[in-house]
Amino acid sequence: MKPARFDYYDPRNLPEALEILDAHPDDGKILAGGQSLMPLLNMRLARPKIVVDINRIEALNYVRATDAGVLIGANARQRVLQTEKLIGERFPIMREAGYLIAHPQIRSRGTICGSLAHADPAAELPALAVALDAELVASGPKASRTISADAFFLSYFTTALQPNEILTEARFPEAPKDMAWSVLEVSRRHGDFALVGIVAGLAVERERPVINRARLVYFGVGATPMRVKEAEELLIGQAPGEAAFDAAAQIAGQRVDPSNDIHATAEYRRAVTATLTRRALRAAMQKLKAN
Amino acid sequence: MATTRTIKLRVNGRDYEGTAEVRKTLVDFLREDLGLTGTNVGCEHGVCGACTILMNGEAVRSCIMLAAQADGAELMTVEGLAKPGGELHPIQEAFREKHGLQCGFCTPGFLMTTYELLQKHPDADEEEIKEWLSGNLCRCTGYQDILESVKLAASRLRNR
Amino acid sequence: MPKAEPKLPSELPITQPRYVGKDSPRMEDPLSLTGKVEYGNDIRTLGMLHAAILRSPHAHALIKSIDTSRAEKLPGVAAVLTGKEVKAWSRPVFGVPEGWTGYALAVEKTHWAGEPVAVVAASDRYIAEDALELIDVEYEPLEPVVDALKAGTGSSPCVLEGKDSNVAYDRRFVFGDVEGGMAGADLIVREQFRWHRSSGNPIETCVCIADWDPFTGMLTLRGGHRSPHLILPALVISLGVSSQQVRIVQSPLGGSFGVKTFARYVVLIALMAKKLGGRAVKWTEDRIEHLVGNSSHAWDRHYDCELALKRDGTITAMTMKLVDDLGAFAEWLAIGMLLKPLLCLGSCYHIANVDYSCKGVLTNKTPQGPLRAFGLPPHFWIIEQLIDIAAKKLGLEANEIRRRNFIRKDQFPYISPSGNVYDSGNYEGSLELLLDRSGYDRLRREQQQARAEGRLVGIGVASSVEPGLTGPPMLALASPRIFTRTSSPEGILVRFDGFGKIIAELGFPPGGQSQHSFVRQILADYFGVKLEDIQVLTVDSLSMQPSTGPISSSMAIALSGAVLGAAARLADKLKLVAAVMLEASADDVELFDGQFRVRGVPGKSLAAAAVTQFMMARPDLLPEGVDGNPQATYVWNPPDRTIPDEKGFGRYSVTAAGAQHLCMVEVDRETGQVKILKYVMVDDCGVRLNPSVVRGMLMGGMAHGVGAALLEEYVYDDQGQMLTSSYMDYLMPTIMEVPAAEEHEMCTPSPIAPLGVKGVGEGALHTTPATVLCAVNDALEPLGVRITEAPMTPLRIWRALQGAASH
Repeated sequence: MKPARFDYYDPRNLPEALEILDAHPDDGKILAGGQSLMPLLNMRLARPKIVVDINRIEALNYVRATDAGVLIGANARQRVLQTEKLIGERFPIMREAGYLIAHPQIRSRGTICGSLAHADPAAELPALAVALDAELVASGPKASRTISADAFFLSYFTTALQPNEILTEARFPEAPKDMAWSVLEVSRRHGDFALVGIVAGLAVERERPVINRARLVYFGVGATPMRVKEAEELLIGQAPGEAAFDAAAQIAGQRVDPSNDIHATAEYRRAVTATLTRRALRAAMQKLKAN
Repeated sequence: MATTRTIKLRVNGRDYEGTAEVRKTLVDFLREDLGLTGTNVGCEHGVCGACTILMNGEAVRSCIMLAAQADGAELMTVEGLAKPGGELHPIQEAFREKHGLQCGFCTPGFLMTTYELLQKHPDADEEEIKEWLSGNLCRCTGYQDILESVKLAASRLRNR
Repeated sequence: MPKAEPKLPSELPITQPRYVGKDSPRMEDPLSLTGKVEYGNDIRTLGMLHAAILRSPHAHALIKSIDTSRAEKLPGVAAVLTGKEVKAWSRPVFGVPEGWTGYALAVEKTHWAGEPVAVVAASDRYIAEDALELIDVEYEPLEPVVDALKAGTGSSPCVLEGKDSNVAYDRRFVFGDVEGGMAGADLIVREQFRWHRSSGNPIETCVCIADWDPFTGMLTLRGGHRSPHLILPALVISLGVSSQQVRIVQSPLGGSFGVKTFARYVVLIALMAKKLGGRAVKWTEDRIEHLVGNSSHAWDRHYDCELALKRDGTITAMTMKLVDDLGAFAEWLAIGMLLKPLLCLGSCYHIANVDYSCKGVLTNKTPQGPLRAFGLPPHFWIIEQLIDIAAKKLGLEANEIRRRNFIRKDQFPYISPSGNVYDSGNYEGSLELLLDRSGYDRLRREQQQARAEGRLVGIGVASSVEPGLTGPPMLALASPRIFTRTSSPEGILVRFDGFGKIIAELGFPPGGQSQHSFVRQILADYFGVKLEDIQVLTVDSLSMQPSTGPISSSMAIALSGAVLGAAARLADKLKLVAAVMLEASADDVELFDGQFRVRGVPGKSLAAAAVTQFMMARPDLLPEGVDGNPQATYVWNPPDRTIPDEKGFGRYSVTAAGAQHLCMVEVDRETGQVKILKYVMVDDCGVRLNPSVVRGMLMGGMAHGVGAALLEEYVYDDQGQMLTSSYMDYLMPTIMEVPAAEEHEMCTPSPIAPLGVKGVGEGALHTTPATVLCAVNDALEPLGVRITEAPMTPLRIWRALQGAASH
């Protein structure tokens, strides 16, 4: 199980990386954390002619706060979800989700942007990005552009990135303070990709017990992370409680678009989507109450 | 663009230099080019954790890194744990006393994961220890004696 | 034969054993902990080549042509081996019954997706894998045989060339009066069961380094092999090589769990070496090859079973019909896994009337091969599950049925209906200990409360018997021509060097079970020396005494016997010398506490080291017939085993360890996930030579059992393609899935085995699947549904829950 031959570049700055990539429009692969790419290379399931290793671009290794929110550079490892105070304070949900992502030895290398660009529909980070309205910065040889997470994920392992673009930054805007989040997943073992997962957000009016904001994003149940707006809308204006949660759960179970694999059928995934919806909303509600 | 690279790195406090194909994995480079065969290969796709080493102080899977990526890095492998004179590291001692190994093949990976864990979280509780060890597979022990070993090592290191 | 073996540690020639029966540091550990063990894959010699194997992408296809010319031209490639040469140079891979295997490489057609089709040897593994991509093979796909039940019926294509059937083995064994037992029953419970294939998956994969010298004809094999005495006949048969020309050097093993004989690949790499004409070649199996291609999958079974009982719970008869999907061949000793249940058909229950039929069927899947516990875990699950089902129908507590049918303490040695002998046991005592220590009544109350809250909590209790030291006799039922022996020899050489230190040479390497440490413990107590004064070495196949190795829960038994036998012989020899030195009659000299002393004459004694040094220094003073060589060998063999008769009646094994486990689980009603809330085991494996080592093996077997019950499964699609070919999909249990189990010891020493030990290496894997699976079904019981398929995955459980919802 050894990689096939490729040419290897490890540029020290972004323009150089983009230039190399631009010169090899269809046969280049970006190596960031490598925790998904390297197994594919070892198995020869990925056969790029060139590998552009961006790990040596120091300028891309950052997590910082600005008015626009928290900015996470392409070389920030998944570990920062747990170690960066900034993330823990502003996005406790990201910290919580971090523990669901594989294992510490994977998170020490795997990057947040790499997971987003890899776009495994069963992964946690793409769903978080969609749930938290992240903006993703795609840098190309001539310019960079910002793509909303919503528009970023196109299909299984397919994003809106052009072959000559690199996802250089993920921006997580300041989340509304009154919103509580929960993340849940069902996986075969701890750290495995989710069979079904959910990131749920909930806010309730200050004066009366009525839901005024909701966010329901699923993973593992379609070609991309799936936000089910119809279920969110069902919650708005309702009293937070089993009746409302159940109605949302029912709709979500119907609207997701899961497929079969050896671990779960589409039917199972639909049913568990509904289950996790109820559970995640209850958990979010608990957090609201606790605040 | 060469298909080989000269790689300079520091492993267990010693400087090494070697030339390898750019596609060569770090674990193959450590084992074949540097002769450090203590790090074992179990799955080559980043799941079993047998090849875990420390790179710049962090536990990583050396089977899913390229050797070229370690150029300039500071690595630590299982060979770097004990003192050269033959004194085992307290983590190794604890694994020995608590029978935290049977065939020993996965052991280097567990030791290196434990090393970082106890460096960074000397007070880790049982749940934290389990979370850290969940990325390492062992087929012999059923993990219970490994868990006890790590707990013993943690308490000894704390009280040093 | 030297004088009687010590039957208990207290009978060793020492006032109080210091090491035997106690936790004692393992001599294997320092090397393992510092990364200094030289595993097979760590071996590199100058000029060594590296092999990679091209594998069939089709489950069943004709090979129309193979063109290796592009691969051969790749710089760095030394040679490419194909089926043509393999057919010319070898015979099909060894297997019983004979005639149901193919060659080490596919020749005319491929039999499973993953079967070797060609081998490349190159200067490194990367290049060897590059070359695989340059081999052009033209296949003509054939209809794959994937359903074992259909495959055995005759309307199916045949997997193996030259055969007109896929049924490699079909036997029925009837013991007692089954019809009478059925007729006399008040209740017959019948159920069908399905057990899916999994495998051992040691973290170290298989490694073989072969060097076949064309001038001397010497074939040298290094790597992670075990049991040269098992591999050698396979090599002699397949390669036509002369046995004295084969040298097998065993590296320490990074686990085996059954897979490290891998005879198919040893033959294949030896053939590659033959083609290379004197250059060594190494093959290191990668994990995907291990999952897809290693002939070590096991137990792919369809069962149809009945248990007949009286109203009071007395079991009157049992029938089991089983069809096992063997995969592409009846390879190696896989068929033995269908036969091993004969050793313990009734588990730890007295079931006098049993009808057991087993059929091994070929399909286009990976061939089966040995796996820890060798076919018994499904057997024990079925018995326990049927007892649980019967208990509900009879309105009895299931443990009441267990107690009523346990072989009683006073019935040992117990001769089972199939003739096998259980040496000793205390099943009822173990069960009581288990129920007491686990707080069984309290757990049942907790379960009631949980059920009242709508939670699905279940408790499983299961028992098993672990036959210690099995082997050739049962295989006589598959091939009486080949398996004509009752022996499983284990030999050792023990000697003193010129400095009074002890060296022991044995025939197997360290592999996790503390084999070298056991030898040291026993010798240290026998000769009254310190552990550090003893060296233990593995010697190669041409130097070793006959050796079986640690297979089939045999090590503690056979190795103890060998060490004690050699030590006794050596002591007898030294007594003659000590008698000269002490000016006493040899008959009056005895060894005790490390001193040769004259009986009844206090103060007159000599340390063993002094005697051996004298022996080597003063040939002129040695008594007649004594040479100046303080060493002895001994080959221990199991006593009293027999070759089974036509009906399957025979004495197959030596010891019978008993185990009783309890597991409490909670099933998530909506997701089908299982959480293990509590796990308690009681194991009675007689005297424990090193308690922490035994406990460690039990915990490991328990973890392996959790995998078998809940996680591990090789899944194939309807084209015979395996869908679980990486560790992303073949799910090994991690520390998060394995419960923190309690373990309590029951000790009923074996009256037969040396030091009272029993085999326990396969251990908890016998019992854990049954316990966990019964617990899950107990959790589902209020819903009126039952799962009879293992592993019980969230999907299978969820489906059962859906069934309940629609009731």
